[in-house]
Amino acid sequence: MAIQFILCFNKQGVVRLLRWYDMCACNGNGSGGSSSNNNDELLPQDLIAQIYRLISARDHKHQSNFVEFSERTKLVYRRYAGLYFVMGIDLQDEEPIYLSHIHLVVEVLDAFFGNVCELDIVFNFYKTYMVLDEVFLGGEIQEVSKDMLLEKLGTLDRLA
Amino acid sequence: MASSSTSSSKKAASSLKSFIKDVRGAKTLADERAIVTKQSAKVRTKLRDDHLSHSKRRTNIQKLLYLYILGEQTHFGQVECINLIASDDFVDKRLGYLSTSLLLDESEDLLTLLTNILSNDLNHPSNRYIVSLALNTLGSLTSIELARDLFPDVQKIIKHSKFNREPLIMKKCLQCLAKLITKDSSLLEILDLEVIEYCLDSNLFRMNHGVLLSISKLFQAILLSYDSISRNNDQYEIENYNTKVIPFISKYIPTLFEKLLGLMNDITPEFNVQGTADPFLQCDLIYTLTLFFNFPKEIDDISKHGDKFINVLIQVANNTSSTTGPGKVVLYETTRSIFSLKNFNETEMKPLYTLGINTLATFLKAKDNNTKYVALNSLVKVIPYDPESVQRHKKFILNCLNDHDISIKMRAIELLFAILNNGNLIELINEIMNFLENLYANQFKNFNDDWEKMIHLIIDSLIVAFKKFSIAEETGNPSDDSIWKLKILIKILKLVGNFIDMETINDILISFNNTENIDHKFQLISRMLLISLKPETLMDEIAENNIAWNIVSIWCLGEYSDSLLLNKNVAINHEVINEFTIASYLQKMDESYRIDKDVSAKTLIHYLLTSALKLSVKLNDKRCIENLRRLILNRTKDSDLMIQLKAVQYDILFNQPANVKKVLLSAMPIFENSSASPSIDTAATMEIKSGKTKKNDLLLDLLDYSTDELQEQKKEKPANLLQELLQPNTTNNNSSSTEQQQKPIITLPDDAKEIHSSENIEVYSKLISHEEGFFQMELYFKPLISINNLKTFCAVTKTQKLTLGQLFCSTTNNDTFPKHSIIRQSLKVTGTGKLKLRLKLTFESNDTGSELSEQFDHKFDQTL
Repeated sequence: MAIQFILCFNKQGVVRLLRWYDMCACNGNGSGGSSSNNNDELLPQDLIAQIYRLISARDHKHQSNFVEFSERTKLVYRRYAGLYFVMGIDLQDEEPIYLSHIHLVVEVLDAFFGNVCELDIVFNFYKTYMVLDEVFLGGEIQEVSKDMLLEKLGTLDRLA
Repeated sequence: MASSSTSSSKKAASSLKSFIKDVRGAKTLADERAIVTKQSAKVRTKLRDDHLSHSKRRTNIQKLLYLYILGEQTHFGQVECINLIASDDFVDKRLGYLSTSLLLDESEDLLTLLTNILSNDLNHPSNRYIVSLALNTLGSLTSIELARDLFPDVQKIIKHSKFNREPLIMKKCLQCLAKLITKDSSLLEILDLEVIEYCLDSNLFRMNHGVLLSISKLFQAILLSYDSISRNNDQYEIENYNTKVIPFISKYIPTLFEKLLGLMNDITPEFNVQGTADPFLQCDLIYTLTLFFNFPKEIDDISKHGDKFINVLIQVANNTSSTTGPGKVVLYETTRSIFSLKNFNETEMKPLYTLGINTLATFLKAKDNNTKYVALNSLVKVIPYDPESVQRHKKFILNCLNDHDISIKMRAIELLFAILNNGNLIELINEIMNFLENLYANQFKNFNDDWEKMIHLIIDSLIVAFKKFSIAEETGNPSDDSIWKLKILIKILKLVGNFIDMETINDILISFNNTENIDHKFQLISRMLLISLKPETLMDEIAENNIAWNIVSIWCLGEYSDSLLLNKNVAINHEVINEFTIASYLQKMDESYRIDKDVSAKTLIHYLLTSALKLSVKLNDKRCIENLRRLILNRTKDSDLMIQLKAVQYDILFNQPANVKKVLLSAMPIFENSSASPSIDTAATMEIKSGKTKKNDLLLDLLDYSTDELQEQKKEKPANLLQELLQPNTTNNNSSSTEQQQKPIITLPDDAKEIHSSENIEVYSKLISHEEGFFQMELYFKPLISINNLKTFCAVTKTQKLTLGQLFCSTTNNDTFPKHSIIRQSLKVTGTGKLKLRLKLTFESNDTGSELSEQFDHKFDQTL
């Protein structure tokens, strides 16, 4: 029950945000995430390109938001305007709850930036990471109360 | 100082901003590349500069992070990130922690540099934000060493720091502990259980969802450590885990029940998501409880709450709305829990299973695809628990076939095949065929790998289902079953033949072969051939690359052409199906697969050659036969060795007299066991095992290479037919087992004449038929001692030609012939002149082991 990675890219496939919690996701068969001489190991960039191709090709009205991606990773994604938010999760995990996770993050971002748009995330990427790090810890959700999150984020923001 | 720092940070920020703007503003990819490379080099040199000001350093690290997001190399900045953490400035520290957790991963040796800094920050006496940053970083970036070194520090925060009443810090600590335990389960040994007690029992965090959530995560980490603890095989560790830790946390099962049920009635708006109270926490608690009750070891402290847990699950299911998104999430987690429970008996679980399946079924009716997707996904997995309950929701599953999402269709198909039985076979298969027809009608629009996977799934499942189920019960007529299945198979061939693999084609051919209702079968086949043989429709109705369709057509022509053309019960369009079109179809196939050299094309050629050979006795038109002969002859120069060999052998057979060929090329018998059709490999190894190395057997090997028909034929019509063609004859090396089963008991006929006798063996002859130029008789050998390895060599005058049959003996199954047994061998002579025979017999005596040989001449009264 943990998120392997969180990824955010726009319709053109330009990455806006990415955070790995479990680098093994790069490793197609999931064996020995740290062994770099493994041929099956994908560079993160190739992996992202694959994910982008897969997801951007999907029909957003008619298809589900879940894709089985590799032997150990499922993707849960959602598009908000021009931005895709993608989470890589373990195969045995429950997809719908992660969709709620994504939605929670986006709602918090929206409240934090005040009607968030892609440019907010582009220019304030470090703040976006701050938001992510208050919602998740090591790939697990740590706080679900929006009020609590926003209060904490407001304080942190003022510390700059 | 404050003013100077703000102005410089403004400048710095603008420098980052302008970098981002430049990248965004790049007109072409090359422009963008140039900007990025330039900046990357700049950052690299800047970071090397020891005299760089704080704010500039910060900006460069920010740029580095942006480069990281763009997917650029960033390893050169790693040490700099760690240096930044060591700074006293909170803003530096924060950026340092962020960049460290992004740019480094847990395999990095640099992590050891972090140990001290993290330890200091975790124990920071006054700044809660620094503590929280350190906890965050430790949670997401942990090596085993780091975990071991810092575990005590984290526990210390909970127990002694002045922040231990702040839920914000506490939840991070607990979650961090969970992460560290996941990393290294042996840390459980030093886990201070009071920490849990403190967080759960005190009233401080009673209703704080964040803390509850992290406690739940900590329990999960502990429960999931079972495997790695057992693997470590440290007695003390196992003892501590099983007798202290697990019983201790089990105490809190009722508390978890209470919290979970409390959420049902919770209406505080803070956590309410569309009418459901904190679905995140609900799901997490359900998952944790499921882990408790699935604990691999029987623990009384857990199992005594079993009944209550079932009760709680039912309550959650009943009190959660299935119409809102968050409600569905909770219900789905509940069903997942139900079907994963292992430690309960069946009577306890039965009502839960029904509840779970009904919940999933209501999901199927949902409009949104996500819900349908998870419902189908789960239903496939839960069928074994309660097939009938799933059966009831057939209608909704069928509806999912019309869904736009391929993954939903795929799962629906999987599910349909899983609920197949004798009763619904017709209904469901018809639906699936409609589905395929629609696909075909749309010319496989948007076709991709997923579709191909799905079609393979359909074909394979269909073949398996046909072997397993029958419609005979439904209709009450067993022959209906095979005809109906044949109809479906032809349809499948037509629609998706180009996806069928070679093994499946074998299965399909066997179904064709074994269908016994001849008239119906021919009707279907003639309809199929009507499409194949009509030249102008070939293009539109059947895809050119539909190799399976072509192979089956070719095979049917080879098998059934004669019966089909003569059959009076089946109306055949003789304009389309006649000898001429049949032959030219084969020629056309030969032509179109001349260049194609992949495996399936080669298989097709093998079938083609066999059909051409078979047709040589089934057609009457001389020109057609000549065309077929040419077809085979051309292939004797084929570049593929196996095809070439086969063509050469077939060419020889082709020129044999018609009566010989007719027997050899007769129709195939019914397959006894269609599921165990011998593959090429096993057939080949079987041959090798039985030690057949003689020339005539090699021919057999070649003949049955990849053609099941000849393979079978050999079994039923034993090899003697071929051996008759070839001299000198040596027998007994071929002890094909099947032929022995059906042979009659051989006795010495009364009218047999003795032609030779010695102390070891007597030889008799019996005339079968005698015509002008053709003479047939049988030889009988009667050994007077027990012998083995009998070989007969026979010669006639030069004007005559001799064909010797195989040795038959009814009293033995191997090469050994007991005393006074009777061995029969047939003999045919064609040609002119007096009939004179020279016979040489070699055999071994079983008593003495010595090799014996006898030779004699015999003159018959008859003249050819």
